[in-house]
Amino acid sequence: MSESSPELTPVPPATVVLISGASRGLGLAMVTDLLGRGLKVAAFARTVTPELDALAAAYPATSHFGSVDITDDSACQAFVKEVEAKLGVIDALVNNAAIGQDSLHVHTPADRIEQIIATNLTAPLVLTRFWLRRLLGKGRRGRLVNITSICGQRGYPGLVAYSATKAGLDGATRSIAREFSGRVVANAVAPGFFASEMSAVLGQTQLDAILRRTPSGRLTTPEEVVPVVRMLLLEETNINGQAIVIDGAGSI
Amino acid sequence: MSSVSREQLRALMGEVLATGGKALPDDDGALLADIGFRSLDFSELALRVEDEIDAELNFEAAGLRQITTIADVLDLLTEIQDQ
Repeated sequence: MSESSPELTPVPPATVVLISGASRGLGLAMVTDLLGRGLKVAAFARTVTPELDALAAAYPATSHFGSVDITDDSACQAFVKEVEAKLGVIDALVNNAAIGQDSLHVHTPADRIEQIIATNLTAPLVLTRFWLRRLLGKGRRGRLVNITSICGQRGYPGLVAYSATKAGLDGATRSIAREFSGRVVANAVAPGFFASEMSAVLGQTQLDAILRRTPSGRLTTPEEVVPVVRMLLLEETNINGQAIVIDGAGSI
Repeated sequence: MSSVSREQLRALMGEVLATGGKALPDDDGALLADIGFRSLDFSELALRVEDEIDAELNFEAAGLRQITTIADVLDLLTEIQDQ
C-alpha cells in the first residue's frame, strides 16, 4: 500500500474536546479554560463535583459532563456516544484521569500495582483506541494530548508503578504520532509536581529538596499547564510526538 | 450479521478517497500507490465497513498478503466479512 507522504495540510484546531478526570485540579482548570474560549467540552470523572455542575449550568449548550469510571470500558464508550449526539464528533481527546501512588515498591501490593496500571495506562489506551476508531471511521482528523508527568522521565521514590504508567503513555504518544501521520497530532504534557493533592504523596522533605533544585523556586500549578494544553489543541504548530515538561526546570 | 457487497465496498472506497480530494478510477486493477490510497485510508474504509455490519473485522483471519490494487482491497474486505 502506498506510504509515500503527500503534502499534508495541518490538522485543524480542536472544536469538540473530551477530557477525562475533570472533577478538580488540572482537569477542571482545562475544562473551565476551554469552555470560556467557546469550545464544546465534554468531561467525565468518577464523581461530578459541584464545580462541574456549575459549569454545566453556565454552558448548557456547549458542555456535557458525566459520572464515569475510566476503567469501565463500556461506560466510557457509551459516554462518547452521548457526547457525539449532543456536541458532535469529538476531534480532540485529553487523557488526564489518573490515580497516584504513595508507597515504596516493596510495600505496594500486586493488586494495587495492577490497579494503577489499569487506570493510568490501560484505560487511556482503550479510550484512545475507541476515540480514534470513531474519528477515523468518519474521515476526520484530530488532536490528542496525554497528561503524563515528570515521573515518566525522572525517578522518584514511592512512585515506581505510577512512573511506569506515565513513561508508558509518553511512549504511546510517540507511536500514535507516527501511526496516525497526517490524521492525528499527538503530544504529551509532563508537569512537575503540583502543590496539590497529587503531591501530597511526597513528604515535606522531598518537596523541600525538589524546591531547592528548581530554578523557578516553586512547584507547578494547574494554571501554568493549561496554556500549553490549549496551544496543543488550538494553535498551528509543528509540535508532534513530544512530551513537554513543565516543571520550572526542576529536572534539568 | 449483515454484510457489505462488493459494489457497496467500492462506493465506500470512493467516499474515503473523496475526503482526501482523490478519485476512485473505474479499473479495479489500478495500483493503490498510483491513486494515493494509503494504509490509514484502508483503516478508514475498514472502520466504515465495521460500522455498516456493526461488528469488528478479524484481520488475523486474512493472513499476510500483498495489497497493491483496488481489487485486492475489495477481495480482502469481502473475504474477511465472512470469517
